[in-house]
Formats: sequence, C-alpha cells, structure tokens
Amino acid sequence: MASHRVGETGFADSGPSTRSLTDAIQRTTPAAAKFFDQEGATYFGELEEALLQGVDGMKETEDRNSFLGTKPPTLEIFPPWPIRFQKSPRGINLKAARSTDSGSAQKTVSHLESESPGSSRRASSDQSADNTHLQEMMMASGESQEKTKMTASAARKDGKVLDAKTLRRLAQNREAARKSRLRKKAYVQQLESSRIRLQQIEQDLHRARSQGLFLGAAGTLNGAISTGAAMFDMEYARWLEENSRHMSDLRAALQAHLPDANLGVILDHCISHYDDLFQLKAAVAKTDVFHLFNGTWKTPAERCFLWMGGFRPSELIKMVMAQVDPLTDQQLMGICSLQQSSQQAEEALSQGLEQLHHSLAETVAAGGALSLGDGGGGIGDVGNYMSFMAAALGKLASIEGFVREADNLRQQTFHQLRRRLTMRQTARCFLAIGEYYTRLRALSSLWASRPRDHCRKQYIWLQKFACQQFTRTDRIYSSLDQCQLDKTLAIQAYEAI
Amino acid sequence: MQYHAAAAAAAEAWGYMAAAAAARGATTMDALGRVERLAAESAVVIFSVSTCCMCHAVKRLFCSMGVSPTVVELDEDPRGKEMERALARLLGYGGPVAGGAAVPVVFIGGKLVGAMDRVMAAHINGSLVPLLKEAGALWL
Repeated sequence: MASHRVGETGFADSGPSTRSLTDAIQRTTPAAAKFFDQEGATYFGELEEALLQGVDGMKETEDRNSFLGTKPPTLEIFPPWPIRFQKSPRGINLKAARSTDSGSAQKTVSHLESESPGSSRRASSDQSADNTHLQEMMMASGESQEKTKMTASAARKDGKVLDAKTLRRLAQNREAARKSRLRKKAYVQQLESSRIRLQQIEQDLHRARSQGLFLGAAGTLNGAISTGAAMFDMEYARWLEENSRHMSDLRAALQAHLPDANLGVILDHCISHYDDLFQLKAAVAKTDVFHLFNGTWKTPAERCFLWMGGFRPSELIKMVMAQVDPLTDQQLMGICSLQQSSQQAEEALSQGLEQLHHSLAETVAAGGALSLGDGGGGIGDVGNYMSFMAAALGKLASIEGFVREADNLRQQTFHQLRRRLTMRQTARCFLAIGEYYTRLRALSSLWASRPRDHCRKQYIWLQKFACQQFTRTDRIYSSLDQCQLDKTLAIQAYEAI
Repeated sequence: MQYHAAAAAAAEAWGYMAAAAAARGATTMDALGRVERLAAESAVVIFSVSTCCMCHAVKRLFCSMGVSPTVVELDEDPRGKEMERALARLLGYGGPVAGGAAVPVVFIGGKLVGAMDRVMAAHINGSLVPLLKEAGALWL
C-alpha cells in the first residue's frame, strides 16, 4: 500500500517536481520498489502518523470553505481561481484507503464549516509554522487535500500582502523537499549496493568454507595474507567451480555415448582449463611462492599429498591406470613409461630441493658465525651481514624455479595422457581425476566439521553427511548391499580413529 | 697507379678497422665458440654452476637414467662469465639474466637441448631417451 501511495502522488507541490519524483520512482529498480514495499512500509507508516497528527492539528484551524463558498468537500483540489502551484491531475489517483481518509476529512470539513471564523483567526498564527512543517511531511506521503486547501487558503487569507512571502516560503519548501528526496534516493541506492555486496561476500565465504579454507583464520595466524595469495585463492575457487562443470559435462557425454568428435571438444576444454590453472599458479609464484609451496591454497586432506606446491604426477598416473581398464599392450607400455619418466623427473627435482635446503641451512648458520666476529656493530659487520642475507635471499628465490619446474611437469603429464589414450579413455581418466579430488575435498570439509564428542554421535553425523552426498551427486548406489557395506566400513573406520 | 696506391691505402685502413672490430668482438665470439667446442666434445654436456641447485637436479636426473654427463662448472672456469652470457643469448634471453638463471644448459650430441624445462618436457615426451641413444650416451 505504501508503494502505491508513493507511486501515485498527491503532493501539494508544484507540477514539475512532482512529475520528477513520479518518474524517479518509476525509474528505480524493482529492488528499490521492493524496498518501498517492505522497509518503506514502516518508514511511510511513521510519516503517515506524523502527518495525521499534523492534519489533526490543522483540522481545528481549517476554515477553507469559509472563503470557498459553496465548495463541496470532494476530491477537487483545484479551486477555479488561479494558483501558482497548480499540479497535473495525472499524479492524483487516490486509492480506497485514501478515500476513506477523505471521507473522514469531508466530515471534518462539514464540521468545520460551522465553525466561526474566530477559530480560524485564533489558529492562523500556527498556520504558517504548521504549513512549513506539513509541506515537508507531505512530500513522502499523500494526504494532500486538506493541505492544498490550507495552502490555498493561506495564500488568499490576508490578501495579496502575503503572497510574495508565502510564495517564497513555498519555493524554499519545494527546494528542501527536492533535496530530501534526492538524499533519500541516494541512501536507497547505497543500501541496495551494500546489500548486493553482502550477498556476494556471503557466497564467497560459504564457498571457501565448503572447501575447508579458513581465510580469516589463516590471516590472523600469519598476520596479513598477501594480496596476490588472496587473489589466487579467489581465482582458484572460481576455477574449481568451472572444473566441476567440466566434469559433469564429461560425465554426461560419457553416459550418452557421444561420438568422439564431441568428446574431443569437451576434452580440449578440460585441457585448456588445466592450462589456465597452471598459468594462475605461475602468476602467483612470481609474487608469493610460499603460498603455493606451503599448500595454504589446498584443503587439509589434499595437503597430505603436497609435493612442491601441487600434486605428484606419478601418483596421479598410478591412480588413473586402475580406472582406465581396457588398455592395449602398446597403451599400457606407453603409460608405464610415462609413469617411470615422471618418477625420475620428480626424484631429480626432489634431490635438487634437498640440496637447496642444505645450502640454505649452511648459509643461515654461517650468518651466526659472523655475529661472533669483531666487536659490536662495525661497518664490516653490517656489510658481512648484508652479503650473507643476500646469499640466503638468492637461495630462497630459487624455490620459485623448482615450483615452476614441478608445474611444468604436471602440465606435460596432462598433455601426454591426452596423447597416449583414446578419446573415451582420456575422458574416463580426466573424470576419475576430477572425482578423486572432489572426494578428497569433501573429506577435508568433513574433517573440519567433525564433532569431537562421543563415537556414536560421530557415526550418526557421518551417516547423515554420506546420505546427503549421495543425493547431491549423480551417483546412486543401485544395490542396498553396497550401502550396508559402506556403513560397516564407516563404523570400522570410525572406531579405528 | 695513383688509383692503386689509393686503393691500397684504403684497404690498409679498412684492414685496421676490421682488425679492431675483430679484437673487440673476439671475446664474445671466443666464448660462444668455446661453448660449442666443449659441447661437441662429449655426448652429454651440462653447463652448470656449482652452487646452483637446479643444476644439481639436472645432474641427478641424468645419473638416474644411467647417463654420465660431462659437467662444465662455469664458476670454476676463468672465462665463465662470458660463457654464461653467451649461453643466455643462445637460450634467447634478451637482457642480463638474474643471478645465474641461464644455467643449467644441456647439450646432447653437440646440439642444444635447452634449459631445465625443455629437458623435463623432452623426458616426459619420451623424446629424451631416443636422443641419448642416438648420441651414444645410452645403450640398451
């Protein structure tokens, strides 16, 4: 109701400003209109009350019809004589609610008609003050009839002497009203934008929580999380979402037994998506390599398997080999040789990193020897300290090279898998990889939210989570036996903890 | 005759200039030439720096494959700095490279394979082993 009142104005204001407000209100977003519906209701309710009080205050002083002669107390707001603040009747479209008000006002009018002019004179002093007050309150609500007649009568009351003054006052009122309207509009827009921002933040938080990342906790532990790392975390979250979309595409394509050409297109998308991830990682490695290296971007369960800022390619190949069963001999040999060469490369990189550890430890230890040197704080000491620090810094910087080489290895592994397997096998392989990591991430979130109480409570909670998972994913276990099996396994696993 | 004399004088002048230019560019030409000469000497040649850990990694990679590479430690060579610059240019780095990032560089059978990332990619590709066999570094 309040919205209707606002939209269909009965302002006793000049035409142009009323029109502008109507247009403004019609131009506001549906969200803003909703604001008027919901939150605005209370706002306008308050205004209405104030208004009615004001009107009540005015009712006693009304004697509009003493000058209007036999003017019927209808909704006619435009008396026949010229008034400066004439407005278009377009804005006036009173609802039933208002008509009841007008009905009451009519009664009041007829009641007041019988009043002596003395009462009007008594209250005339209040009129000017009340006029201003009323004018400003009228802007947002729609009880217009009495006020219009009030202002009309006030203008004509003392003849032409007051005209200019009143007009000036009215103009000032109009300005004030316009300003307050603009202010309100700005406030509404601000509210809307912050509401949308709050929604987005909540979504991000929810997403981050579901992956087991606690950015707030990490931030407070390490001081400030660097902006490059924070940005990478957000982009990674987005990457994960898109990855799950690719996985469901792949699953659908495999189940529908699409021809190889279509499958190839989807596979190309998947591969280029992985390439995007490696590009993201390369970008953050330049600014904050330790964010990658320490695995803060991964969930806890994934972090168990962390090797040089990511997964270990040979482990991935091993996992895949079990899933992609019908392999020809040649393919089997190809995958085995891929696994072997990947293992050799990983071993080489690990040994290089170990060498880096030794050398860094030696450098830092040698820094201690410096401090025991010649007495305190000579320039030579500072120079030595700086050179030792520079050497240590150089060694630390080479970690970026190792992470880069490891990512290069991972990227090559994906491309080689694509090359050495058929389309369907590659699709099954990528799907297996995606699902493996999804399950690992689910394990992480489960771990983060597990209740620490009695074992039985834990089991019930686990069962509930498992049921949710199975309804959420597309997998439906066909046999009940499998469900039972899982249940006993779950109980065993829990009792083992 | 006058003409010939003038030409001879000009040729002399040109000769001096050519010699000077040769002397200036001799060091870089020399370094690159040295690099190539060293690379051609064995089947597998690794240019490395003794303190670089990535060089250590590449050495361990070849050892794990059963190859015994020839390692040239540039920090122990008197002309190491220039050779490092020549290698950087070979790899295609525009300006000066940060702190010895030009190494390690691997040559197989006298031909440039590249830095660590190329070597890794070739190994995963499956093209490294045939290359080694071709150069005679691997038997089997």
